[in-house]
Amino acid sequence: MAISEFNLAQHQRAARKLLITVAEWKDDNGSVTIDGVKYNREILGRRTEDSSIEYNADIETTTDILGINYTDINKTQPQQDFDPYLILGGSKLGAKLNDIRKRNALTELDQFNLYIITAYVGDSTNGYEAEKHVNCTITYNSLGGDANVNMPISAYFSNDITNGTVDKLSDDFSFSPDVSL
Amino acid sequence: MATVDKNKAVLTFLATYPDIQTNPIFVNFINAKNDTIQFLTNDNDKRLNKPFVDGSVLKRYTLTLVISKSITNMAIAKDILSNENLEDIASIQAMMDWLNEQGDNAIYPDFGIDCVIEDMHTTSENPSVDGINTAITPALCLYSMEIRIDYIDYTKVIWS
Repeated sequence: MAISEFNLAQHQRAARKLLITVAEWKDDNGSVTIDGVKYNREILGRRTEDSSIEYNADIETTTDILGINYTDINKTQPQQDFDPYLILGGSKLGAKLNDIRKRNALTELDQFNLYIITAYVGDSTNGYEAEKHVNCTITYNSLGGDANVNMPISAYFSNDITNGTVDKLSDDFSFSPDVSL
Repeated sequence: MATVDKNKAVLTFLATYPDIQTNPIFVNFINAKNDTIQFLTNDNDKRLNKPFVDGSVLKRYTLTLVISKSITNMAIAKDILSNENLEDIASIQAMMDWLNEQGDNAIYPDFGIDCVIEDMHTTSENPSVDGINTAITPALCLYSMEIRIDYIDYTKVIWS
């Protein structure tokens, strides 16, 4: 498949809001139905000023007797932290994580799907490029703060990836996997 | 989508306070007479805007209220500690307290569906005295207070 061009003007910077991370989890009362199963979705990053996907590459470098370096990347372990992640009214994911926290139901933390949507590639007609990671983990790291209750979270991507596109930039998007010819 | 005029929204909100409702209020105009209220718009530094990764932005709106009150040149009676000036200060303090109480209870002006107010308070605990004019009759004292409203602007969010 050809590499997609950015939908930006020459030398135009991509606004941060165009890189979107969305969490998805099964919920009997969810608003999205995929193959007969109901899910909830929520964009991550409300009230977060700065958040990046850290790829945490496991790198091994050797140097031969000529002084030439050979670098191998064994794996990446993508992770994205959201701090602050404020307790906000109407946040479905916040309520879900708080429920897991108070029950200490740790095994439920690894049942999320995560989408990374690059809205600087694609358009509303043909869809925006996205990658879907299944069986990801979201952890809450602390609870407290100063003026407002903060529950910083970390999202760990599984690297079990399906590339595709989403048709729109809202919770009710449809994800279409790429078709290999 | 039409944006809400924040000055009008704040004026509508302030008018729910009886003293403001019953007294003349002027916008960006000083009409220094007893019991007049001046609503003065401030500039709000864009550098204080705080963008978030979802495209929303924390912004600040401020305004200054100047309240004119006639004053007396009579010394206070030490046994009762009361005169017109002290009563005026108390009434303006009551207005400040009311504004802060609304903020504490999250009762805010309506900035429209694209803006969510996070906080509204006066920037000081007590009204400031901006000036005393004894050249006119009655002599006037100008009190002022600054009101600060922090709100999240969701206008530029692309995720709906």
